[in-house]
Amino acid sequence: MIKRVLVANRGEIACRILRACREAGIEGVAVFAGNDSTSLFTELADISIELKGEGLTETYLNQEQIITIALENGCDSVHPGFGFLSERADFANAVIAAGLIWIGPSAEAITNMGDKMTARMTMKAAGVPVIPGVEVKGGLAEILEVAPSVGFPLLLKATAGGGGKGMRAVHSPDNLEIEAKAAMREALNAFGDDRVYVERLLTGSRHIEIQVLADSHGRTIHLGERECSVQRRHQKVFEESPSIALDAQLREEMGEAACEAARAVDYEGAGTVEFLVTPKGEFFFLEMNTRIQVEHPVTEMVTGVDIVREQLRIAAGEPMSCGELQIRGHAIEVRLYAEDPANNFLPCIGELAVFIPPEGPGVRLDTGVRQGDSVTPDYDPMLAKLIVWAPSRAEALQRMSRALDEFIVLGCTTNLRFLRELCGHPDVVDGWTTTDMIERLWPDGWTPDMPSIILDAGLLIASACESSGMGRQKRVNLSTTGESPSPFNTISRRFP
Amino acid sequence: MEFKTTFGRVEINPLKDGNMFHHENLILDIGQELWLTIDSRRFKVHATKVGDDWWVHVLGHTLRLELVEPGASGMDDEGELTAPMPGKILEVLVEEGQRVSSGDPLMIMEAMKMEHRIVASHNGIVDKIHYSAGEQVNQGAELLSLSDE
Repeated sequence: MIKRVLVANRGEIACRILRACREAGIEGVAVFAGNDSTSLFTELADISIELKGEGLTETYLNQEQIITIALENGCDSVHPGFGFLSERADFANAVIAAGLIWIGPSAEAITNMGDKMTARMTMKAAGVPVIPGVEVKGGLAEILEVAPSVGFPLLLKATAGGGGKGMRAVHSPDNLEIEAKAAMREALNAFGDDRVYVERLLTGSRHIEIQVLADSHGRTIHLGERECSVQRRHQKVFEESPSIALDAQLREEMGEAACEAARAVDYEGAGTVEFLVTPKGEFFFLEMNTRIQVEHPVTEMVTGVDIVREQLRIAAGEPMSCGELQIRGHAIEVRLYAEDPANNFLPCIGELAVFIPPEGPGVRLDTGVRQGDSVTPDYDPMLAKLIVWAPSRAEALQRMSRALDEFIVLGCTTNLRFLRELCGHPDVVDGWTTTDMIERLWPDGWTPDMPSIILDAGLLIASACESSGMGRQKRVNLSTTGESPSPFNTISRRFP
Repeated sequence: MEFKTTFGRVEINPLKDGNMFHHENLILDIGQELWLTIDSRRFKVHATKVGDDWWVHVLGHTLRLELVEPGASGMDDEGELTAPMPGKILEVLVEEGQRVSSGDPLMIMEAMKMEHRIVASHNGIVDKIHYSAGEQVNQGAELLSLSDE
């Protein structure tokens, strides 16, 4: 029985978990760093406790402080979300040692799968196909030595990695050393471990992953696939389920391989097994993510399973509640990032002066921000996940395009227009989605396809508003006495 | 009135008629809300000002238009390499006085947990390096300057 969960995370995923707790009649405890004191997730918790200290290491990565807060506030369990401490076996162990329930797989499973090199070897032993490559134990010298035997193009990957950090594609021997150094340094900064391994870069392939669930009653099932091929800088931007590339037979084969992977490490809870699928339909194990995944909503939309709710059930020792796999319709997720797609997708900061999400049938928004929030360089630039469901893939793309047209974000540059163009691109419509597609479609970088009438209209609007004095008023006038602010005080903040 | 856009600087001087502003076949009605009429079809649009920038949402497009104050210099600073976002300098790959070609990596910085490479915008000589490895920089900070040969 779980009664009070500490959510050791922030932002969008903390909101998702805290909402699931509320629905399950479980109390949620949020922990937040000083610069998150007004963030949305702190409002959704029953109790919110400030983490002392500055920077990630002293706050969201501070295991000791988080466990102390859990104990002092009567929590019986800890949900790590994704990122941060979610794949840290030492944290899982510390949580359990403190007498708390860890909402995730065992520390052994995290260790075996979290270290990509060990995971590769475990999978090889279990008979699951892996990408041709070399596991490197030494440092830079060994990388330079083994690279030619793997061949170019190749991929350097942080052994302890995830989220595209410490991952570098190398297309020729000339760049190998500088990229290897960069990968090792990124890996060291992000994971405290600079080991890197080398594998062949399979171009033109698809990234397809299988969601698995396993409970303590001996049941291990898969919830079908998510295709996440569309990536920039090895981070996903567009995810869907089901994948156009899988038929019932391949789905069953990959699903069984994923369950096999989970069983090989006595997995318990929700996890994701990632594969690369070649144009010929061969599939190779990439890695297993031993946590809830950013893109889990697309699976929830097509299977009807509430994955976070199942995590809570499984952690409490109950059997999972879902029955036979049933995939219904089609779901797509896009990730709204504070970044400039026209400038190599570099992150942006700013103020969400206007933030109006879309509504209407089949639309779900998972976000940790709302209008008025600031986007700072302190955290990941993902602002929101927009998810749609529709009876067919074509209709889901149409619904997503409609929803993106309704989405209004002013005050901070985002990838909104890029996502909108992506959804209408013939290759996406045809389902020709591959991991290298952004470079394939926009080899010289993306620039918005903007009709001249739009620019003219924008200039007219800006100049008319400016000459009407609308930008001159204070954006928020809090100096007025107790009365509610006159519309004229807030008019420059937003013209709805 | 002049704005800096992603397509360069543009001047626009709409005609005002009460609450209505006209520009070619476009009419904007400014009231509690903003309504744009294009050839007799009416669309709701959104705008807000943050700093010197007007942010506009029109028909699914978002524009950031920087107001150019009258009398401001029309020249963009050439040869100045600035931080694209706040972060930390990880490595300086060049020295002052060094000759570099367009596209050469000059510095590596880290922001939002990712590495970014600052590359030479044109052929030239490294004039001055303003930051060294380990230092924090703000967005827009001049990192180093390149002089033309």
